[in-house]
Parts: sequence; structure tokens; C-alpha cells
Amino acid sequence: MKWISTILFVALILLVAISWHDRKPAVHSISFTVPKGWPQPVYDFKSNPITEEGFQLGRKLFYDGRLSKDGNFACASCHQQFAAFATYDHELSHGNNNSFTRRNAPALFNLAWQPEFMWDGGINHLDAQPLAPITDTNEMAETIGNVISKLKADTGYRRMFKAAFGDETINTQRMTKAISQFVVMLVSNNSKYDRVKRGEDSFNLPQRLGYQIFQKKCIGCHTEPLFTDYSYRNIGLPEDDFLHDKGRMKITSKSSDSLKFKVPSLRNVALSFPYSHDGRFYTLLDVMEFYRHSNPAGASVDSSVKHGIPLSNFEIGQLTAFMKSLTDSAFINNPRFAPPGFETRMPAAQPDIHKSN
Amino acid sequence: MVLSGATFAQHSISIKFENYAGTELLHVQQTYINGAGEQFTVRNFRYYISNIVLKNKLQSETHEGYFLIDQSDDASKEIILQTNLDSVSAIQFLLGVDSLRNVTGVQTGALDPAMDMYWTWNTGYVMAKLEGSSTGANTPRHIFSYHVGGYKEGEQTTRNIKLSFNTVDFVRPKKIIYISADILKWFDGKNKISIAATPLCHEPGKLAVMLADNYAAMFSMQKE
Repeated sequence: MKWISTILFVALILLVAISWHDRKPAVHSISFTVPKGWPQPVYDFKSNPITEEGFQLGRKLFYDGRLSKDGNFACASCHQQFAAFATYDHELSHGNNNSFTRRNAPALFNLAWQPEFMWDGGINHLDAQPLAPITDTNEMAETIGNVISKLKADTGYRRMFKAAFGDETINTQRMTKAISQFVVMLVSNNSKYDRVKRGEDSFNLPQRLGYQIFQKKCIGCHTEPLFTDYSYRNIGLPEDDFLHDKGRMKITSKSSDSLKFKVPSLRNVALSFPYSHDGRFYTLLDVMEFYRHSNPAGASVDSSVKHGIPLSNFEIGQLTAFMKSLTDSAFINNPRFAPPGFETRMPAAQPDIHKSN
Repeated sequence: MVLSGATFAQHSISIKFENYAGTELLHVQQTYINGAGEQFTVRNFRYYISNIVLKNKLQSETHEGYFLIDQSDDASKEIILQTNLDSVSAIQFLLGVDSLRNVTGVQTGALDPAMDMYWTWNTGYVMAKLEGSSTGANTPRHIFSYHVGGYKEGEQTTRNIKLSFNTVDFVRPKKIIYISADILKWFDGKNKISIAATPLCHEPGKLAVMLADNYAAMFSMQKE
């Protein structure tokens, strides 16, 4: 009998050795859930698998002012959660050294579906996106090299990079991948509109009528379920005589792209005012007033708004009711998207939307 | 790495880039004269080399890797490769960074955007950079600044370079390929470029393509 116990003992040792050898690194994968009925995302998750460690690192980076030259401008300073990650009540955001940005800060959500970034679509990959505001002199005004040096000098960051990526190497690629892991999880799909679509709620009368008008007059560009078709269009806004922003033409050098800007999503639109690429409209009413009085000239004006969009006062009221149903309060209150450590200050535990469906 | 025929023991081969202004070795802050007759000095000269292919009559061998040749950093001017070829009679490489690396997010090493050869606002690499000053340039401190990039159709600024030379024979201890890059070709080639007329190139487009067509001809094999 003795030899049996010896064999068992050796087998046990072997098992322990094998399991030790095959042990998984201590990262915790987060699966990215595509809401039912939504298209497949364009972000390449294979090249940047989302983990809790990477997400938390990205979250810390997103809220860290040290990514800017003077320490005052984190990503989050222009992308505020309570404004669906736009800048609340600012036509143009404020950057380094009392400067204005040149364009209205877009709200951030559902970025996994977005093929190109910025109002002019100049940035072709989500990972590359943070480098523009970090280095732009009227935004965060820092150099990439300086940001990396600051991160390398920080013990906490070294630990977090190791937890997320396996070792303490800190470089631009890892930093931007971590930021992507945070921002790509900013999925907004829990507005009243979404609940109605899922059969969990129902529109009131103005919202229902507004939705019908929306489907007739707006959906050509603000396509469901993302409420944008990600195209670039000239809606006939006169060029600002200070900014002289030609929009998409700056990227393509084609005169046919003059004054074209990306169609913004209308999700959370009640929170992301002011509107348009330069924030010239302070209210939804302003936008709809523009459309109904607009009779723009110009070769590149979109054919769908060549004569504006006819809207009665009644329709404007119903459309407003519908657009307010696109506000996702679960999204703007999700503690996981708040500054690091926010959960521990919350009065009660909140369900994690990433685990629920 | 694809090999036809027999394989050989690995050799180390060194490719050394030497920058020239005409027949003189390039030195920063020294005055040169371009094809348009303009006096100018150079402060900064950098370019990407990638997709290197070594060839002889029978075989060819492709090498991965991206290299940033920087006038101010002598170590960057030497690329050391391991080769299985017993002799090399031609070399081919891409000046610049292929389009795939321009569209797949943030890269590392020589391609790290922190190397300052990258456009953040209009994603893409600056394939080559030549900066300096010239009194004719109507700019602050008479700076001229050519950041040449663009990977999209119609804006391509990478250029395939093919150079051939007398066989480098690895049986003998001669294992260095010298390649010279002549900055005067930037101004005087397929296109005539005048600093006074176009002192700045900071975006993809027509001027970038004209400069790229010129720098395509800046490389030559050095006679030993």
C-alpha cells in the first residue's frame, strides 16, 4: 500500500506543478456586451482585450490632470460625466493658459461603434484619439514624452501598468490602450427610449408623437440605434468669421468637403448642450429654429437640408419631448465611470451594468 | 524570412546611412545652397526606413522592423541585421511607414508617437522631416519646415527605394553597406522646390507628395 500513497503523492506534486505553471496572470477580463439589435462594434477588441485592471488604469488616466502641461486639464475636465462626457454649458471648452478650444467638446459614449474621431474625422483609431487633446496647445498642451515620464515616475502607475499589461513597461501604446479600455466601456443604452424598445417602459403621448416626427424628419442622419450615421455633412451653418473652420475639408483637402462636420449622436442630447461643432446653439429650440428657417446656399450643403427642415411649433414641442427620452440617467450616474475611488464614497452599492446583461 | 536554395550560416550585416548635402557630409548649422540658389542651414533631418529586403542574384530576404534615422543621433544611422544570404548585391526598402501602421492605433519602439514623427490631429506618420532656416523664408526666424507624410490614396508619401551595388561578399569580412542620403535632392529633383515659395509643409497633400517624389531619389550607394 505504501507505493500507492507514494504514487498519489507524486501525482499531487505534479498536478500542483502543472497548475502553477499554467496559472493565468491575475487579470480579470471584462466582456463587452453588444446591446440587442445594435450593430457589431468597429473597435478591435482582439488587439486590446478589456480587463478590469486595464479599465481601472484607463479610468485613472482619464481623470488625471498630470496628462496636461500644468496639471489642471484632465480628459475629464472637458468630458464631464454629468454632461454625458461633454463640457456642460460651454460652447467651446477651456484649455491651457486661458485658451478656448476651437470646437465644442463632443459627448463620449458608444465609442466602440465610432469609426473616426473629431468633428472632422481626422483621427482614424480610438487609441490614437487622446494624443490630439494631450498635445494641442489650447487643450492639455503637454508633450507625449513628458506625459510618459510623469507616469514612469509614479509608483502607483507602475503598479497599475504591471497589473494591466504584465510588466511595468510604460509607453504611449499602453497608455492609450488603457484609456481606450475605459472609454470604450462608456456604453449608453439605458435611456427611456431604450427601455421602451426593450418593452420595459412606454412613451407618454408627446414622446410617442415626437418619435413619429423624428422618424419622418431626422432619422436620415441621426440613424437608430446610435442616433448618428457617422457621416460628414454640411447642414448650412454659416462659417464663423473668427474660427474659419472648414471641417472635413481640413482632412481631405477636397472642396466638396468644405464646412462638413460629423453628424453627432442625439443620445443624451438634453445634457450635451450647447450644440453644433462650435457650440453656437445653446438650446434644442435654437437648433430646431435654425433648421426651420434655414435656406442655405453653398455647393456642399447636404441635399436633405437644402431648404431647411419644416417644423411647426407643435412638432418642435413633441420632438423635444422625444429627445429628452434619450437621456440615460443610469449612464451619467454609473459610479464605475466616476473618478477613481468614487464607489467607496457612494452611500450604497450600485449594480454593475457590465455584469447585468 | 523566405529563402530559396540552401541556407547559410547567419551573418551580421550593417547598413550605415550617411547624410550629405551634395558631396559634403551634412552638418547642422552649416550653410548650403539648394537648386533654387537659396542659402540654408539644417537643424533637424529624420526619416523612417522599413520593410528592408536584401537580395542577391538568386535569393531575397525580407526583414521586419522600423527604423528612425536621425541626423542628431549617430547610433540611429546604423541598422544591424542578421542575414542568411552569403552575398548581397541589392537592397530595397521603404522610406516611410506603410499604411497598415498608420491605421491600426498606437505603435511602439521607433513608431511610438512620442518620437515626434506623428500627426495627432490627422492620424498618420511624418515619413521624413527636414527643418532649418533660410533668409528667403517669410516665416518666424526664417524657419523652413518640411514634415512630409500622408498614407491615403493620392497623398502617398512612402517611397520604395531600390539600390544595387557590387556584391558584398561575406566570405571576406566586408559586412557594411553604406547608403548616402542627399538633402539637396529634396529641392531639386522631379519637382523644383524653393524655400521662399513654400517654406512650410505640415499636412498631407500636394506639396508633401512633391517633396516625396524628390526625396525618392536622395539615396545612393556609396563607393568605397
